[in-house]
Amino acid sequence: MSNSPSIRTENLSIHFGGHAAVNNVTCAFHPGELTVIVGPNGAGKTTWFNLVSGQLRPTQGRIFLGERDITTLSPSQRARAGIGRAFQLTNLFPKLSVFENVRLAVQGKARQGHRMFARTAALSGLKDKAMHFLEQTNLAAVAELPATALPHGDQRKLEVAMLLAMEPDIFMFDEPTAGMSVDEAPVILDLIARIKEDASRTILLVEHKMDVVRALADRIVVLHNGELVADGDPAEVMDMALVRDIYLGTGADEVA
Amino acid sequence: MSMARNSSALASKSLRGSAISATWPGRLVVYGAVALIGLALALAPFLFPDVRSQEVAARICVFIVLVASYDLLIGYTGIVSFAHTMFFGLGAYGTAIALKTMGPGFEAILLGGGLGVVAALVLALLIGLLSLRVKAIFFAMVTLSAASVMMVLASQLSDFTGGEDGITYSIPRLFSPAFELLSDAEGKAVRLFGVPLNGKIALYYFVFISALVLFLAMMRIVASPLGSVLKAIRENELRAEAIGYRVVFYRTTIFCIAAGIAACAGILRAVWLKYTGPDVVLSFDIMIDILLMVVIGGMGTMLGAVIGVVLMTLAQYYLKDLMALGAEATGSLPLVPDLLYPERWLLWLGLGFILLVYFFPSGIVGTLLGKGGQK
Repeated sequence: MSNSPSIRTENLSIHFGGHAAVNNVTCAFHPGELTVIVGPNGAGKTTWFNLVSGQLRPTQGRIFLGERDITTLSPSQRARAGIGRAFQLTNLFPKLSVFENVRLAVQGKARQGHRMFARTAALSGLKDKAMHFLEQTNLAAVAELPATALPHGDQRKLEVAMLLAMEPDIFMFDEPTAGMSVDEAPVILDLIARIKEDASRTILLVEHKMDVVRALADRIVVLHNGELVADGDPAEVMDMALVRDIYLGTGADEVA
Repeated sequence: MSMARNSSALASKSLRGSAISATWPGRLVVYGAVALIGLALALAPFLFPDVRSQEVAARICVFIVLVASYDLLIGYTGIVSFAHTMFFGLGAYGTAIALKTMGPGFEAILLGGGLGVVAALVLALLIGLLSLRVKAIFFAMVTLSAASVMMVLASQLSDFTGGEDGITYSIPRLFSPAFELLSDAEGKAVRLFGVPLNGKIALYYFVFISALVLFLAMMRIVASPLGSVLKAIRENELRAEAIGYRVVFYRTTIFCIAAGIAACAGILRAVWLKYTGPDVVLSFDIMIDILLMVVIGGMGTMLGAVIGVVLMTLAQYYLKDLMALGAEATGSLPLVPDLLYPERWLLWLGLGFILLVYFFPSGIVGTLLGKGGQK
């Protein structure tokens, strides 16, 4: 692991009415590290993700990207600063083509969105790059279909393709394999493993499937009722009695 | 849309040619119709030399620009604004007031029109920055009230605007029918296809070429990276933000661009008509016409503006005549002549609109090109 954290949250909390969806979470993540965030439904995993990528503003606490305080930045500013996010509920541009979905992400990274009088079709750099990410995710054959015409598994892949196309420093995956068939999931997991090969990248992954967790995690963070209850080496964390209680079944009454 | 555009570039890599070929008859019809309209407008002074046809052709040119610029907002970006006639009016009134006070010169058009465009840009920037963050419905309300204020101002500041009567003025001599572009030995205007080459022709081509340039610029904008971001914002604002696009910035930018282009259309209208008043540039009737034209042509299709404007304008000008002929021809039948009585033309226009929306749910061009679903 590298020494200084690439992203960290400090006493991060958000309250909805009287309910603390995320409560006082302090933790730091390092380049080259893949952290899986686990916890039962309603534990605050996705809410914590939304705080980090900017879709929600915290009630209290701060978020740092490297040394920079990004707590008050908008989602687009954070995206440009290097935080990339794939969504759990598929969140695409439904009527645009698969290719166009990815091309838009490439174009955002290249900061070409303001160009008014260039022809998009003539910007071959953007085009080639977008095709490259589509090939990586096995979507090249359906590049021209509207995103909404894809089956669910392919839409999940498209989410990942768009995240790759953003070329961020921080990769945030929210249940990337949810609802995917058994043969489809390995493609995504392979991709994540390949992202990990570059030691400058920090990967955060919300995931339920234990086999995925075991295969990929360098570290596990457990959230429960909005609080961070365990953090550490996968084997150790999975062994903790508390974690077994809340995560592996006996805590069914805790589900919000 | 991007599907179709990317198709050629990706054809070699794609296995899905069928999705494109399924719409080719539609494309043929659309491109053919637009080419015909373009040709007819380009040759209008020679094809249809009478005064009324000239008025129709010039109105079509100006409205294509106005409607296409509105489509940048409602069709491409998903912004609902009712202030488009306000910007149109700013361009027209700026030109009109300058021509009235400075006299009929090009410098008046340039200065007055320029000030009108600048005023439109500034106003659009203010409205955009203040209210494009709020929900679409509130934004629509803000634009509606701004447009109402502008109408009140136009009628109240009658020293400048002529109030409800509007302003009548002269335009540069180059554009007057008495001016001869080319004169023959006897000092008369040279005729081409029997049409004298006088200032009226120059004026028409001033309108036509300006409109063409503005329309082509808009075609370019929607095919640019900026255009693709606009579509992304229309489709999924939150995701556009999440991949790094500042949505408010893009919305404000296109709102200003559309306002500036509408103001340019206002300049053309003012110069052509030699008259500017609330009824011809500011009224909500015009706003409704713009909306209908966009819907008829198809939202989010630049070419739809061309088709929508032509159909609607021809109906507005000629449906009555057509019905009078029909009523005469069917004079011996019961009921039919009453139905075709010319004063009932709005009934038929409305009926036609309902049928169009029923058979072309995404507008004529939108449906023929197979773009999008029902709105």
